[in-house]
Amino acid sequence: MPSIVRTFAWLEGLGWTTALRESPYGYPLIETSHVACIVVFAGLVIMMDLRLVGLAFTNAPLAQIQRRLFPWQMATFVPSTATGILLFCVDPLRYYRNVFFLAKLVLLVLAGLNALAFHLKTYRRADRWDEDSQVTALARFAGAASLLLWSATIISSRLIPNNWFK
Amino acid sequence: MLPFFQWCDGLAMSQAYRDSTYLFPLTQALHILAVTVFVGAVVIGDMWMLGWGPVGQSRTSIARSAQRVLLWAGLAVLVTGIPQFTTNALTYQRSWLFVLKMYLLAVTLVFTATVRWRVSIAEEGRLPSWVTRAVGAVSLSLWMAVTISGRLITYYG
Repeated sequence: MPSIVRTFAWLEGLGWTTALRESPYGYPLIETSHVACIVVFAGLVIMMDLRLVGLAFTNAPLAQIQRRLFPWQMATFVPSTATGILLFCVDPLRYYRNVFFLAKLVLLVLAGLNALAFHLKTYRRADRWDEDSQVTALARFAGAASLLLWSATIISSRLIPNNWFK
Repeated sequence: MLPFFQWCDGLAMSQAYRDSTYLFPLTQALHILAVTVFVGAVVIGDMWMLGWGPVGQSRTSIARSAQRVLLWAGLAVLVTGIPQFTTNALTYQRSWLFVLKMYLLAVTLVFTATVRWRVSIAEEGRLPSWVTRAVGAVSLSLWMAVTISGRLITYYG
């Protein structure tokens, strides 16, 4: 048995993961909290993306919107991640080979890299966004990529219970 | 109401959804995506009303822009929600969570289209700030309650 499977089997066998899995409320409540945090987190990310691609909130300066949304995105990202990790721990053997779960992980990494690149490269020049057309094109690209990646992440997450490709 | 639920259940669309392995889960996935965009547009407006938006930024212009996102996302929520309902109409009519979600949704929609809209486009300083803040807080709580009750239908419906 590969050691990663052994680790997951050990995780699944722990007292607290077993208790959460077998409780009628444990898993549903963690999952619902996960979804409640995600809709706010991803919802605000998508609002920022719509502004970046120029589809909404175009009358408000980009830098200002970003500065105010960012703390809330982070404040909801932390509990989203914590509840997500908890959900995995409760049933690791069910998830680790699930195509949609793996797709979600890959998409999350790509969305994270896109956000990181945007913050490190483009966001530093935020004050020039409204005048420099090249920066605007980069910002638009980052926004469009983020929209696609987060949409795909949400769709693959919701499909996890339907493991069509075993 | 039972004849209406039976009519929903008997629709060709409902049958097609029941016959397909992929249609229902894909619709569920698109529904939660549409809900996410919708909640994002609600929260951005509520944040401004709660006084957490950029200082000096016009709340009214944000509200008007968010309104367009709300309408498009709301349409997508509806289009993806209706087939889920008709396919399971006979089960959902007995689900207390589904019934609760529909009552909550009705109250929240009326509140959003009347009180929240009026307050969000009111000129700055015309209303006492506590009124604007309270409306933002109520809106946020109501929409989160609708989302959470929807999610719980899967487990306890």
